[in-house]
This record gives sequence, C-alpha cells and structure tokens, in this order.
Amino acid sequence: MPSTDAAPLTPLALSEDLPPATVMPIWTPEGPMALWRSVGGTLSLAADRCPHRGMRLSHGFVRGEALSCIYHGWSYDQGGRCLRIPAHPDLEPPASIRVATGSVLEAGGVIWRARADDPSLPPDFPGFVPLRSLSFAVSRDVISRTLGGESAGPGILKGTLAGSAVILLCAEQAEGTSLIHLLAPADATLDQRIAVSRAAETLRRAAETGTTEAAA
Amino acid sequence: MKLYDYILSPSCYKVRLLAALLGIPLELRAVDFHPGGEHRTPALLALNPAGSIPILEDDDLRLTESAAMLVYLASLKSSDWLGRDTAAEAARTEQWLSFAQRLTASLGGARLCEMLLRPGDLAALQAAGIAALRELEAALVEQRLRGERFLVADRPTIADIACFPYVALAPDGSVSLDPYPSIRLWLRAVRALPGFIEMPGIHRLHELKPEPVHGAEGEPA
Repeated sequence: MPSTDAAPLTPLALSEDLPPATVMPIWTPEGPMALWRSVGGTLSLAADRCPHRGMRLSHGFVRGEALSCIYHGWSYDQGGRCLRIPAHPDLEPPASIRVATGSVLEAGGVIWRARADDPSLPPDFPGFVPLRSLSFAVSRDVISRTLGGESAGPGILKGTLAGSAVILLCAEQAEGTSLIHLLAPADATLDQRIAVSRAAETLRRAAETGTTEAAA
Repeated sequence: MKLYDYILSPSCYKVRLLAALLGIPLELRAVDFHPGGEHRTPALLALNPAGSIPILEDDDLRLTESAAMLVYLASLKSSDWLGRDTAAEAARTEQWLSFAQRLTASLGGARLCEMLLRPGDLAALQAAGIAALRELEAALVEQRLRGERFLVADRPTIADIACFPYVALAPDGSVSLDPYPSIRLWLRAVRALPGFIEMPGIHRLHELKPEPVHGAEGEPA
C-alpha cells in the first residue's frame, strides 16, 4: 500500500451512487476495480479486468447476483469466480477462472475499502449525511489549504462551505488527483444542500487554479 | 418522414432515438459521411448548404438542425417530451438544447480527432468537454437532490435526448466518464427508457432482459 497516512479504510463511493444492479469504476493504488451491487443488495469489489479478453468489468452489467462482462458475457459471482461462459453453455467454468476481489464495508451511506488484515470499522459522522462525490485535479493537500479547514483524521477534513459545516472524505487518485466525498449536515434544507454543492464547485475551481481564497 | 443519416453520427442518432422512443417510423437514407464525404457532394449541399447531417424531410418541411428535429418529433406526438410545462421548464429545456451544441463542439470535436483523425486541438477540445461534463454533473446532482432523474423534470424530455449521445460517447474522444456518478445514473436512466435503441458505442441495458436460456428457443430440431 503506497498510502502515506496508513488510513485503515479508504472511502470509495457514496451508497446512493450505486443502487442495486449497477456497477461503477473505482481507482485504487493497486489498480482499477469494479464496485458493484447485486439485485439483492450485496456489495462486491472486483479487479476491473475480465480475465478473458481484458475488457473492463465496470463496463459490464449486473444481472441477479452476478457481474457480467459486456464483451462476451462471462459472468462472475461475488467471490470473483466465473459462473458462466455463454459461448460454452454446457461447460462448467474451471475454478481457476476468477477475478481478484477486495473487501468493502458500507456505513452511513459511504462505501469503504476494507483491509482483510484490519478489523477497523468505518468512522461515524453523527449529524452528517453524504451529499455528492467530486473529482479534483489536485492533491488532498491543495484541497485542504484551499478549504482552510482542519484535519479530522487520516484523509478527513472538516470545514465550512456556503455557511454549512461540511466533512470531506478524501481518497488519493491517479496522477496527483483526488476524489472527494462531501458530507453535509443532516438537517440542511434542500436550498442549503444545493448551495453546498455549488460551493464545492467553487472550492474546486479555486483549488485547481491556485486561488487561495476559501470558497466559504 | 425521411432522415439523411449516418450510423456513427451522434446527432443523427438523437433523431433516430427520439423517433424510436415516440414510435415514429423514419425512412432512413444512409449518407456516406466517412470515407466518402457524401455530405459535401452537390446533391446533399442542395438539401443543406451547410454540408452537415442529419437532414430531416417531412412533406415540404426540411430541417438541418437536430434540435429542431427533436422539437418537431416531440410536437407531433407528445407534449410531455417537449419540456415546456412551465415558463421555467421551457427555458431550462432551451438552455440544454443550446448546451448540447457545446457538447458537440467539445466532446464531438475530440471524438472526430480521435476516430476520424480530423485536425483539431485535441487537448483543448478535451478540456472544454470536461468543463461541460462537470457542469452537467453539477446540474444532475441538483436534480437528484430535488428528486428528479432527468435534466428538466422527473420525466425525460428532448433536453435529455439532445445531450445524451455526445456524453455517452465521450470516451471515443478519450474523455473519461469515470468521475461522474450522477451522469452515470442519468445515462442509465435514458438507456432504460422503453423503446430505447442503440448506436455503435452505446449499448442497451442487457440486465433488463432475462438471462438467455440455452436451447430454450431457436435451436434447430
């Protein structure tokens, strides 16, 4: 793990952005992954590469409890084992055909990458609910300086946007970019939530253009 | 109703898609856009001096702008799709129809550079495309907060159809859609519409159909 702050858990996505029967791409330090939720609601994380022809599984589709590749329909269960090869309908796929998988946890509307060797539970943010995720073309440090907030743990910033207290969960991405999961007060009105979302856009413009003015 | 069409053109696809969603039959006349450059031939320039496709003909009506074609098709069939229930809704619909031209210029321009090796400043086109995608994502976030799944309402309108193809095909111009969760769900909502049709690069949602059962039908006796 190249992570410098040894965060036990990395925030991957917001629960609302991954309804049942969908898949989304996730960048991790080990490589691209496909995060998917089955029709029954089970979350899984798989390497984003079909072992057959290398197609991204995040381009695929979720039917029932399996993730299928868009290219030739090879489908995989939550443990990464190949269940079905449509071109060979009578073949039981050998157990050696599988995709690497990772552990995930979901709490408070946030999906976290867990480490198999670490029993940590995701942090709790009472009084806050997820608002949206945004990608920034700058590092977490630049975002932190621009926000002018305070650190509240590894990869966690507290600050103010549009007059509302906010929490930013930061995940380092490829090439010095960052993925931010923005949490807003649970009691914020619709207008306040929209204002916070817009202020996050302003924060991003400021961070990416090197403006030091806080977006609050 | 006759559409001068090119299978790989996102603007032609807008018209085919809305016609399919509304159940309006189209007579398709394939134009050899690439490599033939047929849209620049005298016969096609006589129909559209701008040398662009699509061109839609219905009796004595001839349209050369895809946004006008969407308005025409929606007006024929269904006022719901027009997105004009209120003054504000009408204005937002127009806003997105104009925004779609920015998508064509930016994401569409990058796509032409990458796919057909047309000249252009690829990096500048991609940057403009990313700026447009961020605007779209922010707007869709706000729509979701309001409990609405589409661009101007909780029902699809021509605004969605005008913006959908160039956004869905952004990766053709090497612009990633990975950073936009609300765009991802919106693309999915459009693809889930009854009557949705595909174009190369935009596939249907296979999961909406039951898993094919081997030997269940169509097997030779």
